[in-house]
Amino acid sequence: MHIPDNYLSPAICAVMTAVMVPVWAVSIHKIRQELPKEKLPMLGVGAAFSFLGMMFNIPIPGGTTGHAVGGTLISLLLGPYAACISVSVALLLQALIFGDGGILAFGANCFNMAFVLPFVGYAVYQFIAKRVKSSRGKLVAAGIGSYVGINASALAAAIEFGIQPALFRDSAGNALYCPYGLNVSIPAMMIGHLTVFGLAEVVYTVAVYAFVSRVSPVMLHDREGSRTAPALKGLIAALIVLTPLGLLAEGTAWGEWGTEEIAATGIGYTPAGMQNGFSWGALLPDYSVSGMPEAIGYVISAAIGVALLIIIFKLLSLLGGGKAEGEAA
Amino acid sequence: MRMNLSVMRLIGRVIDSDTQFHRGYQTPRPAPILRLAVAFVCILLCALSRNAWFTLAVLSVELLRTAMKPPRVMAHILRPVAVAVIFAAAFTAPAIFLGSPGSFGTITMKVCESVLVLSLMNEEVSWKETTGALSSLRLPGIVIFTLDTTVRFLVILGRFSNEMVEAVSLRGVGKRSWRTAGTGGILGTTFLKSQQMATATSEAMVCRGFNGSYAPGRRRLRANSRRQHLIDGLYALLIPLLIAGFIYTQRLMTAG
Repeated sequence: MHIPDNYLSPAICAVMTAVMVPVWAVSIHKIRQELPKEKLPMLGVGAAFSFLGMMFNIPIPGGTTGHAVGGTLISLLLGPYAACISVSVALLLQALIFGDGGILAFGANCFNMAFVLPFVGYAVYQFIAKRVKSSRGKLVAAGIGSYVGINASALAAAIEFGIQPALFRDSAGNALYCPYGLNVSIPAMMIGHLTVFGLAEVVYTVAVYAFVSRVSPVMLHDREGSRTAPALKGLIAALIVLTPLGLLAEGTAWGEWGTEEIAATGIGYTPAGMQNGFSWGALLPDYSVSGMPEAIGYVISAAIGVALLIIIFKLLSLLGGGKAEGEAA
Repeated sequence: MRMNLSVMRLIGRVIDSDTQFHRGYQTPRPAPILRLAVAFVCILLCALSRNAWFTLAVLSVELLRTAMKPPRVMAHILRPVAVAVIFAAAFTAPAIFLGSPGSFGTITMKVCESVLVLSLMNEEVSWKETTGALSSLRLPGIVIFTLDTTVRFLVILGRFSNEMVEAVSLRGVGKRSWRTAGTGGILGTTFLKSQQMATATSEAMVCRGFNGSYAPGRRRLRANSRRQHLIDGLYALLIPLLIAGFIYTQRLMTAG
């Protein structure tokens, strides 16, 4: 679901970023107002879970892959505004260091995965959770919320891809950016997400949410939360070690092909906007270390990504933001 | 002089925090000597490695360890790392324009890794434990004694000089440069004070039965020493693991 650079026109990228600016501003304002300062470091832990979730690629028939995002999970743990900022920072790190998702398309990726996903997922969860009382019912609500959230997010991405050929074409009639219209992009994105990837998001959300509720309920209900619980540390470590499982999925996710791959997908040409577009040289492209076995590079990338996310948010908690303990909610 | 004072104050803060942070560690931890050895092996192997892989792998683990610390401790650890990385990047930046961007990245990363390892060790092992560990290495007592007293006196004299500068500033009228604040007098007084302190320390040591030989305190094993041995043994395994990782990455480079 990470839209690479040059799949969307720069104009669309600018519009999506402009849309996200007020969302980020409101989210930061809400976090300062509602989230206790002591809980700010947990944003980093949430972002780390999202980052790790996105590294577990799952294959589906047809040679394409996808992954869970964990946006609904963070919104359940910390609220949708915190989830928006957590996932945005995770996406920024992925784009800058690992080349996953474009720099120009950052606003669009944030709109899909850091705005639509957590807010829709959280709204659905709240709607169901208010009507059930048992903890199992809340888990079901979390599962349904995450499923609807990731599908809403995938639909938004599919629409962004699909409107490109209708809006941007060269004199020969060839698409300048993403060459597939809505008739292809929507089914291509939604079939995977309505089935396997949606299920992966449900499993990831429910499993981690149930685990956290059991071993660290303080994270869900209490206002203290600056220390990462040992069980959570263990879970993060286990996920890092298991990330090479994501390499078992061969193939590229739909809409994430490189310029050399796109012509072979059936359109027969490489769109001009992609061929001559912006290119960013990431430090660890595709979560790999040049010359090292893929699995080791993947684990190192996961460890660096998780560590940086937690460090960034913990340091931010020292700078300020978040309300002081004891202030009225 | 201001700069010297800043250095002294910095050391003072390190020692102060040393005592503050270590009050919290009650659970059994690996022996300081092992921590020193692992940190030394880490830094040595990173310096010896001819590619970025080994350094990157160690760096990722150290960053994860840092990420698990409380925010204030983390900031304390990362401050010297940030300064070292900025300096290293500034010094090696010309390599980018001279056609060797890889050297820029590798050297900066090695500096980051080395300072991070030291900074983490400084956070987790107190100065007292460090000198105790050095004595286990059969380092002459007089060397450890000199190290111990030097650091302590740096802190004490740093505070003393700082108080004098503050007193002179408060008594002065208007904005005065440090050059006119009686630098020579302050330094001279600090020197005389150090002489007095050295004499007082020596007399106090004689009073407490000092016979000329210095035996720094070694760490006593706790009651549950079996658990301590297990922790030490597991931690000691890191050394062969690090060496194996180093050899593996060097072979990988040769094969590539």
